[in-house]
Amino acid sequence: METTTGASTSRSARPPASALSPHEAWQPLPAAHWDAAAARHLFRRAAWSAQPADIKRAVDEGLPATLDRLFPAPIALFDKPKPVAEYENGIPAHAAKLKTAATPDEKRELQKIARERSRQSLQNMAVQWLSFAARPQLSAQEKWVLFLGDIYVVSYEKVNRSDQIWTHHDILRRHSLGPAPALAKAVSRSPAMIRYLDLQASKRDAPNENFARELFELFILGEGNYTEKDIKEAARAFTGYRLDKDGGFYFAPKQHDNTPKTVFGQTGAFTGDDIIDLAFRQPAAATFVPREMARFYLSDHPIDENQLAALGAWWAGQKHDLRALAHRFFGSRLFYAPDYRGNFIKNPLQYYFSLLQDLRLDVTPAPRLTVAPLRQMGLHLYNPPNVRGWVGGRSWINSATLGARRQFAQSLFTPIDEKKINADEKAEFDAARAAGNGRFTVNNRTLQRFVDMPPEQIADIFLREFLPVKVSPGYRESIIRHLAGDGNQQPARVLARIRDTAITLLQSPEYQLC
Amino acid sequence: MKNPINTLPTTRREFFKLAGGGIGLLAFSRFAPSFLVQSTLAAVPAPERDRGILVIVQLAGGNDGLNTLIPFEDAQYYRLRPTLAIDKKNVLRLSGTLGLHPGCAELGALFQEGKLGIVQNVGYPNPNRSHFRSSEIWESASDSDRFVSTGWIGRFLDNTCSGAPGAPANTAAGADPLAVHLSGEVPQSFLAGRAHSTFGLNPDLLRRRGNKDNLKFLETLVNESTGADPGGQDNNSFLKQTMMDALVTEKRVQKVLTDYKPGVAYPGGAFAQSLRNIAGLIAAGLSTRVYFVSLGGFDTHHNQAAPHQNLMRALSQGLSAFQKDLEAHGLSDQVVTMTFSEFGRRPMENESKGTDHGTAAPLFVMGAKIKGGLHGTPPSLDLKRNQDLAFSTDFRQVYATVLDRWFNCPPDAILGKPYHPLSFL
Repeated sequence: METTTGASTSRSARPPASALSPHEAWQPLPAAHWDAAAARHLFRRAAWSAQPADIKRAVDEGLPATLDRLFPAPIALFDKPKPVAEYENGIPAHAAKLKTAATPDEKRELQKIARERSRQSLQNMAVQWLSFAARPQLSAQEKWVLFLGDIYVVSYEKVNRSDQIWTHHDILRRHSLGPAPALAKAVSRSPAMIRYLDLQASKRDAPNENFARELFELFILGEGNYTEKDIKEAARAFTGYRLDKDGGFYFAPKQHDNTPKTVFGQTGAFTGDDIIDLAFRQPAAATFVPREMARFYLSDHPIDENQLAALGAWWAGQKHDLRALAHRFFGSRLFYAPDYRGNFIKNPLQYYFSLLQDLRLDVTPAPRLTVAPLRQMGLHLYNPPNVRGWVGGRSWINSATLGARRQFAQSLFTPIDEKKINADEKAEFDAARAAGNGRFTVNNRTLQRFVDMPPEQIADIFLREFLPVKVSPGYRESIIRHLAGDGNQQPARVLARIRDTAITLLQSPEYQLC
Repeated sequence: MKNPINTLPTTRREFFKLAGGGIGLLAFSRFAPSFLVQSTLAAVPAPERDRGILVIVQLAGGNDGLNTLIPFEDAQYYRLRPTLAIDKKNVLRLSGTLGLHPGCAELGALFQEGKLGIVQNVGYPNPNRSHFRSSEIWESASDSDRFVSTGWIGRFLDNTCSGAPGAPANTAAGADPLAVHLSGEVPQSFLAGRAHSTFGLNPDLLRRRGNKDNLKFLETLVNESTGADPGGQDNNSFLKQTMMDALVTEKRVQKVLTDYKPGVAYPGGAFAQSLRNIAGLIAAGLSTRVYFVSLGGFDTHHNQAAPHQNLMRALSQGLSAFQKDLEAHGLSDQVVTMTFSEFGRRPMENESKGTDHGTAAPLFVMGAKIKGGLHGTPPSLDLKRNQDLAFSTDFRQVYATVLDRWFNCPPDAILGKPYHPLSFL
């Protein structure tokens, strides 16, 4: 049996992050350092959880092959959910009705119905996406899309159209592993983004600076790497980006300012795409995404600027290719440094998905039991607090959100009260069950495989599968003691103790880490 | 101080004294609750315990208002409810035209004593008939076409607590949670702009055998080293400290509940037990301002009569026991209780002897300081087939009344715009 101690000795032999020169930091991890502990670290950070079968395969195949699987060439697409398509298809008819509405009241009523359809289809999309992203083979990809969405932020609260929110994420996903400039250009045409940052209000004679500002500050360069004049000039290049009556992107040449602009010291009759290319030629662009990656995947503490600069220089040489960056980052010596093992706070989605995968459960097809608990943990899907996205790290944790996490873990071990399921949820439950995705909570059958094991063995399995940190002998002893309980060997009592132990470990401070 | 039964530690010395008597491992914790650490830094003002307390009772699923407060002289009622109408002779009469469901005998008595108010026909413009969305509207107190990510209680906490600069949330006084919910899920009402100490007491867990052992086990794990450095700056220590604070609260609460001697016998059932527990926490003098408890099962689409009767009984017996218990402890002046439900039900019953999602419904307000009786106006039942009730009192008027006259908190700041208060307070 592999033990946590064994894993940690090999780990402690590794140099800390600070000991790595900027050049060494991003060198591929030596094959000899690739072990189960390293694989678990990769899967917990780059995806949602470390499943034993995945870890075994990863160790057998090696790190490069594993990265190829986590960040693959063909990207799996998330189809537009049916209710979203229905809402979208109904928009022209809705617009026609709105035109012929006789009274303001009638108009308001129609708008209300449309808003409600949009909102309900968004809820449906949220639940379907959770199921999509929970699939082990898609976890790394979808976490990466989530990461990009935390850079290219839009909020449903302002956009108000589920189809545009879907399109935005579809754009992120399609471009997620290609060149970063192509992603930025595609996002500048995302209807949700155009609405969110008021690009459609930008006129030739009155350019709106909101988009140009965030493009430089939050999407490509970071604060301090552009002047106010750069923003003013760049804003003129993005004039003419419009949404048609159905909400699709089009370019209106008449509204576009095609006179020369001076941005980053260069002058020309730049288009929006030219501006994005110019921005990526700025040195700051090379380190911006790597810095965001380090914040999202690695540590609350900023990583060494010299190390960052080395990665940036390398990335610029790769024409800002995102797949190359992901492979470099997640395959580097720095990523596996002991400083970054098991000490990062899971965001609510990570907590949610790691629970589902660790317990081999399916997404419960009801917003009340998915979207709502996530919100109680502090994450309102499709509604980040502002254009900066989520702050992350310790800001996820306070007594209320920690309580919400504990309650959610507990709820996954409590059968859903079928009497309390509302009639409109019933159909979704039945459909999920019919599709073979009906395991919403842990039942005693699931835990049966542990019943005949000695407490020591159960403790070691739980520790290895659940916790990302090395625990003290005392910690392990307490788990064994709790599993042994009063020694009552009645199967029901044994099962109850296994269940309670699992719940408590999933509520523990250590399980909040990855 | 009305309640001498305050067994909760508010100073380091008290804490350790109590720890010796059963709080256990916490006393030896290397991850000492931060309020202990902080309470040595400054003289902490005594918690204010005489301020008004609000108990919110959620009737989850959409309560059938028309069969709760019954217009027994209205022929339209009997037309709309061919099988579900309550026979005139069985209605508990409150006025010449209105009466309570026969399951509400205890609430009827409270009404006669002037301790129960009924606000009629409460709703909001452009009603939404989705459980999820309509609950969200009620709990965020938003317009139905606006999305607000905080709850009205959360904003109230944001508002009250901003007046105490520099007072950390975990000083001894602040060690009491500001709001407590007795439900499996954190109510959306509690979502706030800033972090507050709120606390959930899951009624399903309290009943479970072995829950105490689990809590103790979690506490052990929090104390066991995982390489985390006590008092250290790493994330594991931070999580351990935050969790220890939460566990301390949980322990204190459990101790209070175990020791509590109710002044009356409560009926069986989880709902009444939750109310008993709320009474216990109030009696212990917690500085908690808001309690939230949920009674579920009101989504009565099929064969409504029997289950609705049971729900009415549970509500009536539970609330009445709670009110009497508060009186027995001399606490009834401090507490106002109010009910809400995400919507009422369709006036016209459906083909399965049930009712579908509707709009407005009456809600109850209860307390010694309440102006009892009927408030607002009843709905008109002159309705077309499947037509819904048109509300006459906005639910935010109820909130505004509570905020203004019970919490002394400017309601406009919480609700975003002015609402005309009602006369029940």
